[in-house]
Amino acid sequence: MLELTGLRRTFGDLVALDDVSFTVPEGRIVGFVGPNGAGKTTAMRIALGVLTPDAGSVRWRGEAVDARVRRRFGYMPEERGLYPKMRVLDQLVYLARLHGLGKADARRRAEETIEVLGVAERANDRVEALSLGNQQRVQLASALVHEPDLLVLDEPFSGLDPVGVDVLSGVLRRQAANHGVPVVFSSHQLELVERLCDSVVLIDRGRIVAQGTIGELRARRERRLVLVQVRGGADEWYASIPGVALVEVRTDGAVLELAGDVDEQRVLDLARASGDVVRFGPMHPTLAELFREVVSA
Amino acid sequence: MNDRLAHDPRPTDRGAWRLVAMRDFRVRLRDKGFFISTGITLAVLTVFILLRAFGDEVTPSFDLGITGTDEVEIQRTAAELDDVAEREGVELRVGFWDDVEEAEAAVRSGRLDAALVDDELVGDDSVPATLTQLVRNAFVRVRIAAALETGGASPSEIDAVLNRPAVEVRTLEPEDPDREENAGIAFIAVLLAYGQLFGYGVWVATGVIEEKASRVVEILLSAIRPRQLLAGKIAGIGLLGIVQLAFIAAYAIGLSVVTGALDIPSTAIGIALVVLVWFVMGFAFYAGLFAVSGSLVSRMEELQNAMVPINLIIFISFFISIGALESPDSPLSVVASILPFSSALAMPVRIALGSATPQQIALSISLLVAGTALFVPLSARLYAGAVLRTGGRVKLRDAWRSAPVTNGQG
Repeated sequence: MLELTGLRRTFGDLVALDDVSFTVPEGRIVGFVGPNGAGKTTAMRIALGVLTPDAGSVRWRGEAVDARVRRRFGYMPEERGLYPKMRVLDQLVYLARLHGLGKADARRRAEETIEVLGVAERANDRVEALSLGNQQRVQLASALVHEPDLLVLDEPFSGLDPVGVDVLSGVLRRQAANHGVPVVFSSHQLELVERLCDSVVLIDRGRIVAQGTIGELRARRERRLVLVQVRGGADEWYASIPGVALVEVRTDGAVLELAGDVDEQRVLDLARASGDVVRFGPMHPTLAELFREVVSA
Repeated sequence: MNDRLAHDPRPTDRGAWRLVAMRDFRVRLRDKGFFISTGITLAVLTVFILLRAFGDEVTPSFDLGITGTDEVEIQRTAAELDDVAEREGVELRVGFWDDVEEAEAAVRSGRLDAALVDDELVGDDSVPATLTQLVRNAFVRVRIAAALETGGASPSEIDAVLNRPAVEVRTLEPEDPDREENAGIAFIAVLLAYGQLFGYGVWVATGVIEEKASRVVEILLSAIRPRQLLAGKIAGIGLLGIVQLAFIAAYAIGLSVVTGALDIPSTAIGIALVVLVWFVMGFAFYAGLFAVSGSLVSRMEELQNAMVPINLIIFISFFISIGALESPDSPLSVVASILPFSSALAMPVRIALGSATPQQIALSISLLVAGTALFVPLSARLYAGAVLRTGGRVKLRDAWRSAPVTNGQG
């Protein structure tokens, strides 16, 4: 388990991180979500020891992270980077060795990794000769090549085509499920995060604003929304119910917000009294909606 | 991906710098620029050595026509000319001409370098200075002999006046017969060492920028520590510098021995070793600073400005070292050979010329090693603080402040 506790980091007057704490348990995929400039990259850099926090700690399996432990982490930085003139395979072998693998293991793993990521036929090309998508795959390979104990990936899906997205999703799922590797990645593709992640950490302006499983996030939010569609009844049948307010009118019904003490069964009764209820159910907001709510708050 | 490697839970990372060094060494060994620069250096040295081996044996030779009204005077002058030319090691062929016009025509056509007509030395558009000097000397001797003869001196007395060496040379210190040769070797050696120190220093700086500009440095630093990356880079590039310098020195000495350009190869080998040792120490001293200047900027174009202070220091050291070839005992040479900023270039010169005392050498080494011990951690911290900051030029103060603290495992 990776634990970030009370991280704080400033750049001059800018507070990039303010008391940021979250954990990435073994075998779980955690999505790290927030608007641009919220502090995702800073937090990830600190987790990898590339940047030092002003306060707070990074612990791995209960112990403070030092250089030797960090060597077993896999990292994909936001600023992609490889040696442009080095051949793909040589590059991965070199990086694997820097991460502590022996010569033979490094070579075998480098070959396996480019196979899995579908760039095996470019093994002897210089990185600069590859398309951007393939460079991205090699970049991912460099994070995976040493069979890391932990994966920290900054925007790993950006720049990938749909096939690449599927390949990477599969790789991350296998890493977590088969090998128990904790995975944390940041992304702006929220549907992807929703589909792939066991839990989500939402950060805004350097502060964690929400975290938990998607279900927990939905449950925890203060607004209770129901979507109701009534055929034939009065247009604003809900207007007179105390504690009920209209949020928006959609083609598939009206979204109502219920105050804490309102019994939804009573609202249903009133709806039926007004006409034929075609649709009545709790609104599950998408992650994107949660995100917008939390971030704009 | 299913059978995972059996990892040591806490693998040691001590060898990381060696991996970096090996990569940097290999990549540059295969670099086209490396081969071209080595080739140019070898070619220049070859020309220099061959010139030294075979160029010296060409003695100046002149054809002089002589004519005039006084036959006896002409004969005497011709005899003195032969004498003086032999003494000076100049090949001089003197021919007698009956006719002034013909002699002048021969000068005009180039058959004669000059014609001596009575007291007049006639050249085409000029007369070679050596020839003028010879003729002048011969004239003086003829006149002195005539004056002595008139005064009643015997031929043996005249001979004694003209040919006894007037000045005996005595030196207070034992004379070093090889000093000139050693100075020549030291000049080439210091030129090479300067080029090497500068060239390989720049290579360190550009290597740092390459990693910074391609952003690969962030990946590297997630695996190893800044200090390991810096140490590996300096070691790898420095090793290549040593190998190249040793190779060039071996080639130059070998060629000199084969062609006979050097009298005593053992001194040359000694000087080469001294220069190599001081190159290693000097490179260790400067390389960290080059790396810092590379880490402060983000693009190659900005490097030139960032390197100005170091370039200036190395260039001034080189300049002083060239001066030390002439005056190795001047206060400037002595101070420069001891201060760590300049000793890498200045001290080998003074050692080669035999003017450095053991105490000065010991002090110079101690200061250079101490300076390196002080500068390397300093450079490592600045490098670590600056190398991840892209965008504009990083200020030294900011680099110092933002260096990652290594909590004791650094």
